[in-house]
Amino acid sequence: MIFMTFKLEYNEINEDKELNGKTTILNVLDDLEVSPQTIVAKKNDQIVSEDAEINDGDTIKLIQIIYGG
Amino acid sequence: MDICSKCGNPNIVIKRKASGQALCQDCFIESIEKKVIKTIKKENLLQKGDKVMVALSGGKDSVATLEILNSYVERHFIELCACTIDEGIKGYRQEGVDIAKRHAKRLGIEHQILSFKDAFDIDLDEIMNVPDHRGACTYCGVFRRWLINRAARDMGATKIATGHNLDDEAEAIMMNYLEGNIGNLVKIGPITESKSELFTPKIKPLREIPEREVGLYALSKGLEIHLDGCPYAQQSFRMEVGNVLKDLTPEHPTIMYSTLRGFDKMRPVIREELTEPFEFDRCEICGEPSSNKVCRACTFLKELGHSPNLDYF
Repeated sequence: MIFMTFKLEYNEINEDKELNGKTTILNVLDDLEVSPQTIVAKKNDQIVSEDAEINDGDTIKLIQIIYGG
Repeated sequence: MDICSKCGNPNIVIKRKASGQALCQDCFIESIEKKVIKTIKKENLLQKGDKVMVALSGGKDSVATLEILNSYVERHFIELCACTIDEGIKGYRQEGVDIAKRHAKRLGIEHQILSFKDAFDIDLDEIMNVPDHRGACTYCGVFRRWLINRAARDMGATKIATGHNLDDEAEAIMMNYLEGNIGNLVKIGPITESKSELFTPKIKPLREIPEREVGLYALSKGLEIHLDGCPYAQQSFRMEVGNVLKDLTPEHPTIMYSTLRGFDKMRPVIREELTEPFEFDRCEICGEPSSNKVCRACTFLKELGHSPNLDYF
């Protein structure tokens, strides 16, 4: 069985995550309970919107730009 | 999959909920710059020959402000300089100051870095160790503004530009309205002026740009920005109001815009009706304009057992 994975970098988090079916940045944010309003997402070093789909081998970096509350 | 509403590029960086508009990086950058330029024109924020001092913290808002105002320098419309305040917060502030330095150097502009320690002989970390202090944010804002006002005069600036964004303005409007602080509502606006010649007018070119879009703009342009949150930022009324507005935004995407628009319509009427004749005096300790005998900065410093270093400039 081949596992599809992506790399997730967010603050102290730096880990490989399993990809189960269609996953968007927004799905990842929901799992982390992070509001899309507070971050900018990069997929393989390119800025993407939260609707962007994550593929096997992608590196996803979430950059927090808004703090507070 | 969405494509850019303007040029069809499939690599979009944002989809605006209010308009459904999707934009690629280049078109997004262009839309922000266009919007800021429109604000500057509409509200008459800049005149040819202005020397604008950007209050440059190194964070996303002030760096974005500096970048966009620089386009006016390139067109020989204004002159730019910058002032960075080092409040003295260990493990946090230095990075922002260094980032500000690099931007000022890159653009070749005059840059003053002023520290609480040099100006007041006490920095924010030390203030936090004083028993019964008023809370970091209370001192920070007052002392920063004191320094910014003096720096502007020292540098011969005709305008001060700050990075206040749409979220900031909507929060300020709601905070003051909810507290019944109509006196403050009179003062909020795209340009803050005073009859006192000691005050340099303050302009807010980013006031119509949502906070998140300012961050996205800075990152899209590859601008170095200080991303960490202030360790002293605490739950404040502003934060509570900000959270309410942010919570409403997903279902009501235009709510901050409409708050600002409505307020802008009311502004001239409020000003006319409610502006109190400003009897300004000068602080007897530091000489800054003040409506009281002793200004807030000096009052706070007195409580802390300090006084301002008037030779700092």
